[in-house]
Amino acid sequence: MTHQLAGHCHCGAVRVMLETQMAAADLPLRACQCSFCRTRGALTTSDPAGHLFVEAAPGAVNRYQFGLRVTDFLLCAECGTYVAAVSEIGGATLGIVNVLGASVPGFEGRTPEPMLYDDETPDQRAARRRDRWMKAQVVEAQPSI
Amino acid sequence: MNNSPFTWRAGGCHCGGVRFEVALPQVVEAQSCNCSMCAKTGFIHVIVPESRFRITQGAERLSEYTFNTRVAKHLFCAECGVKGFYRPRSNPDGWSVNARCLDSTEGLDLRVEAFDGRNWEAHAADLAHLSKEPA
Repeated sequence: MTHQLAGHCHCGAVRVMLETQMAAADLPLRACQCSFCRTRGALTTSDPAGHLFVEAAPGAVNRYQFGLRVTDFLLCAECGTYVAAVSEIGGATLGIVNVLGASVPGFEGRTPEPMLYDDETPDQRAARRRDRWMKAQVVEAQPSI
Repeated sequence: MNNSPFTWRAGGCHCGGVRFEVALPQVVEAQSCNCSMCAKTGFIHVIVPESRFRITQGAERLSEYTFNTRVAKHLFCAECGVKGFYRPRSNPDGWSVNARCLDSTEGLDLRVEAFDGRNWEAHAADLAHLSKEPA
């Protein structure tokens, strides 16, 4: 059964849809401990076999980079919400969704797994993301859902 | 001799563009709110009077977002989106600082309690005293 887990930023200008064969309860829930994620208590998930769609009105997404500058953190320009992150890895766009920022239902009450990636080399980081992140697509269009 | 019970602590957004300082006692009463806005930003509220908060850098980089009654002025860095502080609807005469955005909480006894912001009208009055200036 295909699950479509949907969410959006606070003002609704940026929407996400995670298509997965897994129920939300079976997906990982990660609390990255990096300096960016800690400022927002971000809780992220991904299904390597799934697909992430990010749909935003034209100009509604700000892309923020830091550190290695290989990842775009997708922020709503209107309300500031961090909804998802995407990175180009091996010719593909891979991503994760911040279920807290996008209010994706089905993760409430779970204890997230704290993640520490500080000691990774750039190659190790790319390899981890290739294993765990999911195919992602950012579409700039007037929200239709 | 400094008899103030408060220590000025610095904090900021992630990219470093917006910086602030807030005067806090050693024991800090903080709130984790479950409303539609706070749940998305993971905001941990430390509410202080006007005199115990100052923006030290980057006020011009702040974006403002309002919704519903539009009393609360939700402020975030236009570059990194991080919300280090804002004008809360419960305390429009003061500021709410995000404990997650302090440079350090060393030596602070941060006591975070749940605040039921989904039923805001029933509970907001409990917070009003936090932004009162000392007599």
